[in-house]
Amino acid sequence: MTLLPKRLQQTEAPPARALGLGVLRTLYMDLLGRPPFSAEIQAWRGRGRREWLDSVLGSFEFWEHWLGEQLYFFFLIDNFRPTSEALGNLSRKLDLGQLSVRDAVHRIGLSSSFELRNPGADTFVTVAMEQFCGLRVEKNQRELEIGKSLYDGKPGLFLGRHGSSQSDVVHIAVSDKRFARSFVAREYERLVHQAVPKKALAGWARSLQREPGEYLKLVRAWVLSEDYDGRLQRRVAQSGRLFIRTLFVDLTDALPTPEEAEPLRKALDGLSDSAPLRSILVRLLLDSGAADLPKREEIRDPSLWVGSHYQRLLGREPRKSELDACVATLAHPEGRPETVLYALLTSAEYHRY
Amino acid sequence: MQPSQPVPSFNRRRFLEFGATAGALALARPAWAMVEEQKTRRVILIAFAGGVRTRETFGTPENVPNLQRLADEGVYYPKMRTANRGHFGAALSIFTGVGQQRGIRENGRGPEPTLFEYLRKDAGLSAGDVWITTSGGPQQVNYSHGTHTDYGPKYAANTLDGDGIFNREFKSVLTSLGKPREMPEAEKGLLEKIREAMDPDSDDAENTARVEEYILAELTRGTSDVRGANAGDGKALRVARNLIALFKPKLTAVVLQNADTAHGSYNGYVEVIRRNDAAIGEIVETVTGDPDLAESTAIFVLPEFGRDRDLNSRRGLDHGDGSDDLNFVGGLAWGPDFARGRVVQDEVRTIDVMPTICELFGTRAKRAKGKRLAKLG
Repeated sequence: MTLLPKRLQQTEAPPARALGLGVLRTLYMDLLGRPPFSAEIQAWRGRGRREWLDSVLGSFEFWEHWLGEQLYFFFLIDNFRPTSEALGNLSRKLDLGQLSVRDAVHRIGLSSSFELRNPGADTFVTVAMEQFCGLRVEKNQRELEIGKSLYDGKPGLFLGRHGSSQSDVVHIAVSDKRFARSFVAREYERLVHQAVPKKALAGWARSLQREPGEYLKLVRAWVLSEDYDGRLQRRVAQSGRLFIRTLFVDLTDALPTPEEAEPLRKALDGLSDSAPLRSILVRLLLDSGAADLPKREEIRDPSLWVGSHYQRLLGREPRKSELDACVATLAHPEGRPETVLYALLTSAEYHRY
Repeated sequence: MQPSQPVPSFNRRRFLEFGATAGALALARPAWAMVEEQKTRRVILIAFAGGVRTRETFGTPENVPNLQRLADEGVYYPKMRTANRGHFGAALSIFTGVGQQRGIRENGRGPEPTLFEYLRKDAGLSAGDVWITTSGGPQQVNYSHGTHTDYGPKYAANTLDGDGIFNREFKSVLTSLGKPREMPEAEKGLLEKIREAMDPDSDDAENTARVEEYILAELTRGTSDVRGANAGDGKALRVARNLIALFKPKLTAVVLQNADTAHGSYNGYVEVIRRNDAAIGEIVETVTGDPDLAESTAIFVLPEFGRDRDLNSRRGLDHGDGSDDLNFVGGLAWGPDFARGRVVQDEVRTIDVMPTICELFGTRAKRAKGKRLAKLG
């Protein structure tokens, strides 16, 4: 949990682009995979984006989220979710600066989970080429065949480097300059939610290839860029994983446990349109009493209560018609605060951020 | 397989006449209503995916008594050319009628419209009429719709991943949260007013509520407790069977995946095939046991591709040798308008199935590269 600005001293620049509630919420969700806790809203509202980045970038929680996203990208989830201590420690080692992002991806590729997920020479080498280097095997059949030979223990020149083992396939793929290019493009899209600008990609990839530790500088530059300002102007769909974490934080001010989060994420991923299941989860969580909500008659100023929830959950003020409908609900004997929140949390708008 | 006379209700001429007029009238009323003789009003499409060779299916009929029965009573295509050798792209090709080159672990929508989108937009089927159940987790929900600007999510299929939703862990978390409170009618009315104020154009509330209700009910039906080598596939097939029995959708598609255990275990692979055949048998029973379904339902079953000719070093079967065992599969079509006991030796393609189904619903898959399956009627 990143409650207070632990790396504040790293930036001397004056606070710029003061953080409103909506922007703060989006930043947390993009970089940490959850909205801010109440204490963080208090701590950060009105302060600067640079300052916030100093605090968050490279924190343990940042790397934990990063690792979760990488494992999801490689589909190392559900039955293939790594259980070994070595992979579990990756976020700690990244946090301590003992590993770079490339080292971490390399270790993922060498894990037993990765092998189980991608069994056999053909699948393993295909996935290594596609997911590490962004190559299409249909256009690189020769490399695929050479890679399969390496996988089977025969020496060969794969992607321009000599190797003779399955681990060499991984090592060569993540050392290739196309890895840097593919990784940067993927990460930019994940964080900025748009395709990477082609002109900039080559330079960023070169920079990462030369010095994998530059990754955090790249992320920082992206989040401070005009493109990211543009991203803040448009909502993007929440993944199932993000929705679960967001819902729990919004209602209980705490993250779900892994035992809660994973089955819920898996279930949401099982629907192309997960709105029905999201609706079930919202209902259950609201009705379970896990959210600390006042009773209808305890709300002294319904307009204020509704407005604050629109701000917190949707990052905006309610329109007049919305405010009227919500206030009317709170004035009705059968209406409850849960009714209002149920409407907000199941709205299409809440599922985008 | 016993050869018999084909039923003349689905011949080429009728198909062409049908196709020519259907496009214009499809939205006005169900297209099959225009062809008096055509009985097919529902289709079940099972992608017996995960990589399944003909040797272990129709080449060893004792493994697949139910599929063999369908083939005996329908049309069997022993030489279906496959479109791709990665599971995701190959199965997506079946649903788009276009050979799709996709990464094995790619998690994104394809550019081409799917069968579901054509049927929903061009044949006018409702959201509740088009379902797909899957077994392979998040990647497979991408089959429900593509990114083509003329179609897209508005015309998607309702998609349920059997194992993703109906598993013990998920059920346990839901149980720990308790039961949803029954909402009084007055409160429902208040809720609707807020929703209307927030999104006056929303029109999916009815379908969302229907799916929500179905999920809650299905969680009590024991699907979560399905176990065994084909647990994921078994759940996808069971969910499909229940959907067919409850809602009688116009199109129910199923995508399987567990046969891919073949990479590490040949015996496990054969076991999955046998179990999946048994589960398909239950779907067939559901169809044949209901007079309305029995006389109106067509079934298509085909793998997305086969597997290598020879065992690998782990005594398993991969899929990358380019052999005929990999590139050709056996598929079948069974239904009231199709020939019975016919074996079509002509080479067809897995991408031909989707345009064939579109034609059954009186529409044309404009962007599909496949053609109607040969000698079907």
